[in-house]
Amino acid sequence: MTDVAIRRLSKSFGANRVLKALDLTVPSRQFVTLLGPSGCGKTTLLRLIAGLEQPSEGEIRFGERRVDGLPPGERNIAMVFQSYALYPTMDVARNIGYGLEVRGTPKAERRERVGAVARVLEILHLLARKPRQLSGGQRQRVALGRAMVRKPDIFLMDEPLSNLDAKLRAAMRGELRRFHLDLGTTTIYVTHDQLEAMTMSDLVVVMNEGVVLQIGTPEEVYARPANLFVAGFIGTPPMNLVPARNEGGRVTVEGHPLPVAAPAGAPAELILGIRPQDVSMAAPGEPGTIPGKVWMVELIGSERLIEVEIAPKLRVTAQVRASHRAALDDAVAVRLDPAQIHLFDPASGRALARDAGRETGAPPA
Amino acid sequence: MRFRLSDRQVGVLFMLPLLLAVALFLVWPIVEAVRLSFVRYNPLRPDDQPFVGLDNYLFVLEDPLFWESFRQALVWTGVSTVAQAAIGVGLALLLHQPLRGINAFRGLLLFPYIVPTVVIALNWRWLFNAEIGIVNHLLLSAGIISERVAWLSTPDMAMASAILLNVWKYTPFVVIVVLARLQTIPTELYDAARVDGAGALRRFRDITLPQLAEVLAVVVVFRTIWTFNKFEEIYLLTRGGPGTSTYNLALYAFDQAMANLRMGVGAASGVIMLALLLAGSLLYIRLTGFGREDRAA
Ligand SMILES: Nc1ncnc2c1ncn2[C@@H]1O[C@H](COP(=O)(O)OP(=O)(O)OP(=O)(O)O)[C@@H](O)[C@H]1O
Ligand SMILES: [Mg+2]
Repeated sequence: MTDVAIRRLSKSFGANRVLKALDLTVPSRQFVTLLGPSGCGKTTLLRLIAGLEQPSEGEIRFGERRVDGLPPGERNIAMVFQSYALYPTMDVARNIGYGLEVRGTPKAERRERVGAVARVLEILHLLARKPRQLSGGQRQRVALGRAMVRKPDIFLMDEPLSNLDAKLRAAMRGELRRFHLDLGTTTIYVTHDQLEAMTMSDLVVVMNEGVVLQIGTPEEVYARPANLFVAGFIGTPPMNLVPARNEGGRVTVEGHPLPVAAPAGAPAELILGIRPQDVSMAAPGEPGTIPGKVWMVELIGSERLIEVEIAPKLRVTAQVRASHRAALDDAVAVRLDPAQIHLFDPASGRALARDAGRETGAPPA
Repeated sequence: MRFRLSDRQVGVLFMLPLLLAVALFLVWPIVEAVRLSFVRYNPLRPDDQPFVGLDNYLFVLEDPLFWESFRQALVWTGVSTVAQAAIGVGLALLLHQPLRGINAFRGLLLFPYIVPTVVIALNWRWLFNAEIGIVNHLLLSAGIISERVAWLSTPDMAMASAILLNVWKYTPFVVIVVLARLQTIPTELYDAARVDGAGALRRFRDITLPQLAEVLAVVVVFRTIWTFNKFEEIYLLTRGGPGTSTYNLALYAFDQAMANLRMGVGAASGVIMLALLLAGSLLYIRLTGFGREDRAA
């Protein structure tokens, strides 16, 4: 039972401030995903937790124990690397058992524990092979086995699925989730694939440029993004973000009033966010809609994306049934589901609370 | 009709210059050496080359100086190669550290390897001169030694000095090869080992060393061959002396062929060296299992 508490953690490489006074608490036994664009500092944060890098400032605690300053070997963590980092000159059995070997576990016990892990991961028949005689998926399992065999307090995983093909990745997602449920070990998982984050995690931590922007369940970060960055980053196709105005408590887009009230104290300029799934097509002139013309139509399997230009260079995407037909330059209108509209303060980027009895949206399919 | 060459003929054409050079400068001298080893050949009487069968070989094998040279050659080669490999790996590990300005040192390292042996040997003779050399002067003034050391004029010290020169000159070769290999080892392996709890020594033993094994096998074979055959360093530094105390087989062969005008005997000792090196290399490669990994894959 180990929770991870990170307080005001900073890390700089020379003049490059990668992590900026970052605060984060990872509850015990949870599967937590660090999600963010490339270069935002996910790997750096993970390496700091592992002890592979030293923080410039701040502290890291595992439960009551303060660990920054401890070498990685004394933190009782296990890490799965993106490249797996299997020892190329050792066979699979020794790769998995190396951590035990270093800690002086007797040979017989080592063999037994390696065997037990290999059985769970279904790699018993591979134990005598060298890593280069394994496929990508098999390597991934060996790396996982090496992490599991020591019964660590915390699992750290840095994009462990990114080297696998799409089908294997989908299968491994399920397996990793399954292992987590069985073992109940606190897990911190780095990815920039939001599908992985959404499907596997108890909690998602959205990061950008070295700070945490939102922590929440997958449902929360999807349905109630705390700020513009999270709103734009989570969800495919991405959320529509269009400038709007607060005209005496009523929200308007390009002068067209919407059936949505601006919250008390909202600024005059707003940003309105709405997911393409919550936009529907309407006939021009219907009340509460925004007129425009069809700019682009894309078929994505059973659905169709229709981009409607409502003002020069300002487009709103609607995701509708594939059976819905639309021709380029047709005069149309879009209707925004009032319950699913998000409002943001353009100055701070923060979401404005909307109390008017809104329902939470569904997670992505 | 145009004259056309097949791909095969073009290939042969491209290889021809190299093949000619190899035939002229490699194959022919070896064939000639083998032929000479079976005749009596005094360079002053080039017209008279009677076939003498194995006489030259018998002469060599019964010559106490050959056996003395052989023993000394083993010491010279063994100590030089082991020292170069050990120091070379150590320096390579140091130079592999990501420190500021390390590139300057990497560049400087090549210096001994580039300077011609003649220049080095002459300089070393000055440096190690017992009376006026700077080495004795410095050691004396630092109080490390109390009287002048005869660096080049006692048998043991002369051999040690020659080995020192060889180590100094060729360690950079080892460093470069080992450093190149070190740089291909993914750093994530060391991270993984640290997470597994391995300390610096264990990481070296379990990750670095196994990956250096192949390249070290190659380095040791090459350094052994080149050092065993080495002539000019010893000749320029000590002339094989004092007495014959720094003779190796190359000096012995030179001595027989040039000083004693026994070309046949010189050639015979050359052929013996060739056979020894061939056998030694095969044995070493078999023992270290070089190249076996790749075949298994
Ligand atoms: N050892 C280092 N020295 C200097 N800069 C570094 C070092 N490691 C990382 N950085 C910098 O820190 C920033 C964050 O890197 P990091 O690897 O943590 O990103 P990431 O979020 O894991 O990205 P990705 O999704 O591409 O893996 C980058 O700008 C990177 O250039
Ligand atoms: Mg990364």
